[in-house]
Amino acid sequence: MTYLTLSNISKQFGDSYAVQDFNLEVEKGEFVSFLGPSGCGKTTTLRMVAGFETPTNGSITLDGADITDKSPNQRNMGMIFQSYALFPNMTVSQNIGFGLRVRKASKSEISDRVREMVSLVNLEKHVDKYPYQLSGGQQQRVSLARALAIRPNVLLLDEPLSALDAKIRVSLRAQIREIQKRLGITAIFVTHDQEEALSISDRIVVMYEGNVEQVGTPFDIYNFPKTPFVANFVGSLNTAVAEVIDPAKGLLNLDGVQLASAAKMDGLMQGDKVRIAIRPERFSFASEGKKANVVDCRIENITFLGSVVRVHILIGNTKFTMDTFNYPSLALPQIGDMNQVTCSKEAVLIIDSEK
Amino acid sequence: MTITTAPTSVAVKEQTTRASVRKNRFWSWVIFVVGALYFLVPLAATFYWSLRAEKDTLGFEAYRRLFADANFLPSFSESIVNAVAAILISLLLIVPTAYWVTLRLPKLRQVVEFITLLPFVIPAVVLALALIRLYSRPPLLLTATYDSSRILLVCVYAALSFPYMFRAVDNGLRAMDVRALTEAAQSLGAGWPTILLQVIFPNLRVALLSGALLTFAIVIGELTIALFMAQHTLGPYMANLTRSKVYEPSAMAIVAFAITWAAMGIIQLIGRGQQGQIAGGH
Repeated sequence: MTYLTLSNISKQFGDSYAVQDFNLEVEKGEFVSFLGPSGCGKTTTLRMVAGFETPTNGSITLDGADITDKSPNQRNMGMIFQSYALFPNMTVSQNIGFGLRVRKASKSEISDRVREMVSLVNLEKHVDKYPYQLSGGQQQRVSLARALAIRPNVLLLDEPLSALDAKIRVSLRAQIREIQKRLGITAIFVTHDQEEALSISDRIVVMYEGNVEQVGTPFDIYNFPKTPFVANFVGSLNTAVAEVIDPAKGLLNLDGVQLASAAKMDGLMQGDKVRIAIRPERFSFASEGKKANVVDCRIENITFLGSVVRVHILIGNTKFTMDTFNYPSLALPQIGDMNQVTCSKEAVLIIDSEK
Repeated sequence: MTITTAPTSVAVKEQTTRASVRKNRFWSWVIFVVGALYFLVPLAATFYWSLRAEKDTLGFEAYRRLFADANFLPSFSESIVNAVAAILISLLLIVPTAYWVTLRLPKLRQVVEFITLLPFVIPAVVLALALIRLYSRPPLLLTATYDSSRILLVCVYAALSFPYMFRAVDNGLRAMDVRALTEAAQSLGAGWPTILLQVIFPNLRVALLSGALLTFAIVIGELTIALFMAQHTLGPYMANLTRSKVYEPSAMAIVAFAITWAAMGIIQLIGRGQQGQIAGGH
């Protein structure tokens, strides 16, 4: 049974809609990320779940009960903020125990729970410190412990890693995911960082200009984007306009080069223009083994990115990028050389038609 | 040639800069000394005068007489009670207002700021006469008895404190992320009273204390309004003292000054402890 349901949620500020007709069903214990650029409505949606914003239309139900009009302090949602929002006048243990003190829990219950939470986030040595005595990563772990201490119905995370440096971000997101799985808590995570969303989520809701573009698993979102926006926003992508040659066989013409696609071409006719998309890593040199599509190309440039080598190629008149793993025996062509690259039918996605 | 001239020009530049810094430092000291003398000489003179109550010897006789005066302690304690009451009223009005303006009505900040500044603009005499006129007839008759006048006086003092209290509280609120702290507390189940008492007030400790002590310093010796309302507070007492005594007014001035300085000292002491918390907390 669905645990959290957002039905036809809209939020209007003045004349403009921050969120429009948002629908989502979240299972208990699921980790869902709202992913999108700034201003896409992801934080507004999260704030409506938390109760800090009231939807203009629609309803929110939690475990079958309508919570749309409940105040934030009656929803039992643990919230983690980008700015940590730790109470500066309280120590780590006082911060973690705050929610329990508000609930008038007994002293022994509070101290047991605080000890449990402190150990969960590995902050045993810092219980008596004030927030200003901790690093950003430690502060965010306190914030996590504080939110979890109240045994929340849903854990809400509003860009919790954005203020941290890259290494801490990666380790903390793994820690958040590990704790969420261990406790089996339902979580909604807001981020504009696609890597973060892809690595941490059970499902991702990609949002753009207040609308849901696609909901799916990280695998689906990355490999089978349903809209041009999702295709462009999640991961690197080559896009080009091609002409349909044979919709039944999935044949396309790109600047005189024939490509085969496994994408459905229902309703498309010969001569229709479509926007195709191919991920850079789906290309490989034909010398390494041929797939359905083998095309001639010219090597325009080669960029080393550490573990990956990015090769800029020209197919027909269209520029593409191709990513290949960097290994010592990799035989790279010279810039300006003619070469052959290959990709599977499944790699050629159709993200838009221009009939 | 170029090799030798470049370091010379750098050295000359350095010398000029050093001379300019020395010159600036000299004038800074001159200004500081003149300012300190302007402030300290009258104070020292007042203190010296207060010690001359006994013929040919310096001593604290004026202070002894002052504290022995039957009217001093009652008027002093009355002023203290008035000040504390005014501070409480001011806190109860200003903190929730400033908090709400910061949290929900930021566009109203300038309007509220202007309203709180009004006591600065209206002269005390005008304010006192207007208040007496307004509150000396039904249905708002507050000048009929000494005690009801005192209530009115305390309310006026609270209003007089608004400019200081609002600025202090507003600065304190700006130093923290009020919205995030409020929402964090709300998500943890806290209602408005808990948020205000356990989250906002403690983090405004320094600001509240600054506002409170500034209010205290102003109210404790206030003369004009207290005189118009025929109150036996410290202000009118001091005014009477200057008319009838020679050395005691100086002693009184030094005592009042010491109280003000003690108030400022307390603000500094408490503020030093909290600066790191607020700064580091974000």
